Amino acid sequence: MDNQKPIPVKTQDNSPYWDGADRHELILQKCNSCQEYSHPPGPSCAKCGGTELSWESQGSEISGKVYSYIISYRPFLPGFQDDLPLIIAIVEIDKLPNVRLIGNVLQCSTDDIRIGLPVKMIWKELTEERSLPQWIQV
Amino acid sequence: MVSIKDRYAIVGVGESERSKNSGTTPLHMALDAARAALNDAGLEAKDIDGFMSYSEHDSCSSHQLATYLGVRPKYVKDIMGGGSSTEMLIADAVGLIETGQVNTVLIYRSMNGRSGVRMGGGGWDVNMLQNAFEGGSFIIPYGAGSPSQWFGLFATRHMHETGLTQEHLGHVCTSFYEHAQRNPKAYFYGKPLTMEEYKKTPYLSFPFNKHDFCMESDEANAIIVTSAERAKNGKSKPVYIMGISARQCVSHAHYWNNLDEVAADYVAPEVYKMAGVGPEDIHVASIYDCYSWVVLRQLEAYGFAPRGEVGNFVAEGNLRMGGKLPSNTAGGMLSEGYTHGMNNVLEIVRQVRHEYKGTDRQVENCEIGICTGWAGPDIAGAMILRN
Ligand SMILES: [Zn+2]
Repeated sequence: MDNQKPIPVKTQDNSPYWDGADRHELILQKCNSCQEYSHPPGPSCAKCGGTELSWESQGSEISGKVYSYIISYRPFLPGFQDDLPLIIAIVEIDKLPNVRLIGNVLQCSTDDIRIGLPVKMIWKELTEERSLPQWIQV
Repeated sequence: MVSIKDRYAIVGVGESERSKNSGTTPLHMALDAARAALNDAGLEAKDIDGFMSYSEHDSCSSHQLATYLGVRPKYVKDIMGGGSSTEMLIADAVGLIETGQVNTVLIYRSMNGRSGVRMGGGGWDVNMLQNAFEGGSFIIPYGAGSPSQWFGLFATRHMHETGLTQEHLGHVCTSFYEHAQRNPKAYFYGKPLTMEEYKKTPYLSFPFNKHDFCMESDEANAIIVTSAERAKNGKSKPVYIMGISARQCVSHAHYWNNLDEVAADYVAPEVYKMAGVGPEDIHVASIYDCYSWVVLRQLEAYGFAPRGEVGNFVAEGNLRMGGKLPSNTAGGMLSEGYTHGMNNVLEIVRQVRHEYKGTDRQVENCEIGICTGWAGPDIAGAMILRN
């Protein structure tokens, strides 16, 4: 556990996602009008403006591939000084290629990180109640 | 719709002192920049009936600026914004003048961008950031708080797809640093950068090292816009606006599902169409350069080199004096200073009116210039100017 790190702030619009993360589950917002996933979740669909939204569980077995990444050698925010170099990636979900999630690829050397790298979702405990979806190499 | 091509002009530009620690307020710097622009235009403060600015809550208000210039204008407006806001506010000014609401507008950006609030991050309250950014709770807990990281995600993918290399980023940096060596007011004046040195510099946030980052500074810039008719009778040499356009494209400003498009891709055809020229007609450019890669992506968007050939374009020295497109000729935000793009607009005005004539800073035979703004992949604005 790391109390220094920012903990995702739950809001009216995103709490089902983070509640799901706390249960180690990926819950995505979906628009009933255009049938697209809306991520990050919002008050209405960012693609069509539709207001009929639902939440869909993707379960806990989430695999994907690195779509892009950066490696930070300086902490640009407090709480990350012990995590350098920090890999921040956009990951394309295998079963939902239109959904791309931003996260860290953990336990990955800077030599191994590359576009296309297969990864799977894990959850890191931030506090006793809160968890953060993350990625590791498979 | 009436065409505004060539019917509006920039008649004055000015700046405050540039430093890393101004020791003064944005209001003082804005007053210095406004007085310099008025002096440049040969106007008095009372001639300005509209004042506008953009900021990230780090400036003084237009109302304050007008107050301490001792004038009571008809119109004041302050927007939240960064890159491309200069172009957007100039477009707003044109609209207000066109509809007869005001005659002459002064637009400024003033910021203690180094000693005060730094765009590059640092010292922020992380919970505040999660709320301030749309979708902020999906990036801040991952340590992604700096535009270098956000735009870096686009850069890595774009480099992967188009074959751009770190050396190509280096060509942008070394070209602009070279220009700074001719500009005594540039922050990196007297500090040239070789490719060898660039390549030896460790990454700060891959794919960027510190030279790929803009040079945050404390300064204010101001621009005065009026109708071509008024400009004709004025004391300064007007620079005419041929085309101006802006655009929002992707859905979130701080979260991206799609790295394939940027707003500049949509602004480019619009601004060329309005101006009635194409990329081949442009003699000098100011390409928004908060990071080196942003320049490469815009060179592609604005058609200066086809996708996949932008790297060769910069490696051939085309951004340098004597190249096909001398760009950011005062050093740009990478090596001159940083006012969210406005300093680059000042430079293009000065080039197009041949202010540097007789010196090695003047781009020879430059009649038409472009300046581009980049708030991010989501928002862009551009303007084409002529002598
Ligand atoms: Zn929808």
